[in-house]
Amino acid sequence: MLAVTKRENVQGNAACALGAIAAGCRFFAGYPITPSSEIAERLAGELPKVGGTFVQMEDEIASMAATIGASLGGVKSMTATSGPGFSLKQENLGYAAMTETPCVIANVMRGGPSTGMPTRPGQGDIMQARWGTHGDHPIIVLTPASVGEIYSETIRAFNLSERLRVPVVVLYDEIIGHLLETIELTTPDDDQLIDRKWASGDAKDFLPYADTDDLVPPMARPGDGYRVHTTGLTHDDRGFPTQVPEKAEHAVTRLLDKLDHHAELIESYEAVMCEDADVIITAFGITARAAHKAVKNLRSQGVKVGLFRPITMWPFPEAAYKKVTGNAKAIIVAEMNAGQLVLEIERICAGKPEVHRVNRIDGEVITPDELQAAVKEVMS
Amino acid sequence: MVEQNIEIRLAGSGGQGLMLATSLLSKALVSEGRSVAQSQSYEPTSRGGLSRSDLVVSDGPADYPLVSKLNFLVLLDQVAVEESKDMIGDGAVVVTDSKTVTEPPKGDFQLVALPMLETAISLGNRRIANTIALAALCAAGKLCERETLEKVVTAGSPKAYIDLNQDALAKGWEMGLNR
Repeated sequence: MLAVTKRENVQGNAACALGAIAAGCRFFAGYPITPSSEIAERLAGELPKVGGTFVQMEDEIASMAATIGASLGGVKSMTATSGPGFSLKQENLGYAAMTETPCVIANVMRGGPSTGMPTRPGQGDIMQARWGTHGDHPIIVLTPASVGEIYSETIRAFNLSERLRVPVVVLYDEIIGHLLETIELTTPDDDQLIDRKWASGDAKDFLPYADTDDLVPPMARPGDGYRVHTTGLTHDDRGFPTQVPEKAEHAVTRLLDKLDHHAELIESYEAVMCEDADVIITAFGITARAAHKAVKNLRSQGVKVGLFRPITMWPFPEAAYKKVTGNAKAIIVAEMNAGQLVLEIERICAGKPEVHRVNRIDGEVITPDELQAAVKEVMS
Repeated sequence: MVEQNIEIRLAGSGGQGLMLATSLLSKALVSEGRSVAQSQSYEPTSRGGLSRSDLVVSDGPADYPLVSKLNFLVLLDQVAVEESKDMIGDGAVVVTDSKTVTEPPKGDFQLVALPMLETAISLGNRRIANTIALAALCAAGKLCERETLEKVVTAGSPKAYIDLNQDALAKGWEMGLNR
C-alpha cells in the first residue's frame, strides 16, 4: 500500500486506534475505563472493517490475557486502559515479557492513586510502567506528546513489539488523550511496518527460545507444524521449565540484553534549544508542550533555556541525556506526579548538574507560566 | 519568535451543546487553512454543571495546545463565569447571554450581551442556542466566513434540524454583526 495523507481534526485516543489499524493490529481486547475508552470505542468500529476482531472482555485481567493469546495465535494485538486497569494487567504483562509475546498496551494516565480522579490528567504511572510487574523484565515505554505523535508512536510501538518480541506500553496523559488536533494522518507504506520473524526450516530441529545473533528467537506460526511450549516459568531453549542455575541465568540475561542490543532502534527523544542552554527542562506529554512554550517565551527574553523530551521513556535514553545536558548548569524535571522521572534523572546526573523539581498532583496541568517562574528562580 | 495564537473558549452548563459548537468551529477554521487544538472539561453529569471547550488556533501545530489568555469567550450560563473571568485577555471579545449571565465579568475587553437563549426559544427550540452563540461569535470576532460556517453547520446537523440550524445561524450572525 502506498502512503496516503489526510489533514483532519483527530482526538488523541482516536489517533491511537487509527495508528494501531495502520500498524496492522487486528485484535483488541479491553474493558472500558476513563479516560481511555475512546480507543476501544473507535477500534470497535474500525477492526471489523479490516477483518479484525474486537472483544469487550469481562475485566482488565482477562483483556490482557486475551491480547497475549491472540498474539500467540499470530495476530498483532493490543489492549488499552488507565491506572486502575493498568494495575490489574501487571501480572499478565510480566507473562508477556517472559514468554516474549509481542503486544501493545495503551495506558492513558488519569489522577491517582487508586481510582483517583478519572476525568483529570496525571503522569503518575511512569515508574509503574517500568516496574509494575515483578522481577527483572524487559519492557519498552513510549510517551508521545501530541495527537500526531500518538498516531506515529502507536505504529512504532507495534513495530518494536513485533521486531523484539517485547510488550510495549504507549503512555500518555488524559489531556493529550482527549485533545483534538489538526494533524496529517499518513498511512504508512508497507515497508515501514515490521512483522515478527516467523520460524522456518525443519520442524524437528525447532527450538522456540533458541539463541540467535539478534537475541530475538523466531516465532512459530500456528498451523505451520512447529512444536511450542509457552510458560511463564523460567524456561530453557525448548520452552520447558528449568531451575538449572546456568540455564535460568542465561534465559533472563538474554531477555534483558535484548533491549540493550537494540538500543539504537528503541531510543527516541527531542532536544529543543539545548546546545547553549544554562537550564534544561526535562518533561514529557502535556508538560513537555508547556515547557516548549516556556522555552520559546524565555528565549525571546534572552534566557538560555532548553527542553529535553524523552519520547522513549524506558529504556531511558541515558547516553543521549548525558550528552545533551553535559554543559547545563541546572536541570528542572517537571511532571504531574510527586516526583518519579526525577529519580532517574538524579541517578543519571549524580549531582552534576544540579536537579530541581516542579510537580503537581492536583489534577491540573503544569502551565508555561509556572515553568517560566521556576527557570527564573533556579537562575537567580 | 513567540507565536501569536488565537485562544477561544465556549462555556456554559452541561447539555447546552457547546462542545459540538466548538467542534463545528474547529472544522470551519481548518477548512479555511488554520490548525486547531481543541480541549474540553466537563463534570460527570449529563445535564447541568460546568461545561467548556477551548480552542487554540494557529498557522501550524501549536507548541502548547491549552488556553491561558482568551481572545474570544462565549458564556451561556452564569456557572461558567467564575472559572474564565481571570483568563480574559485585554481587548478580547466576550459574548454573554443577556438573560442567564446575570453578573458578567468586568474588565478591559468588549462585552457583548445578546438574548441568545430567548432567540432560540422564539425560533422554536432552546437547544439551538449553541448555533446562535457560535454564529454570533464568528460574526462579532470575524473568525471565519459565513459561508464556511453554513457548510459545517449543515454537515453537522441531523436532517430534521438543518433548516432550524440555518435559521439560528442567520439570527446569530445578524446579532453578532450588529452588536
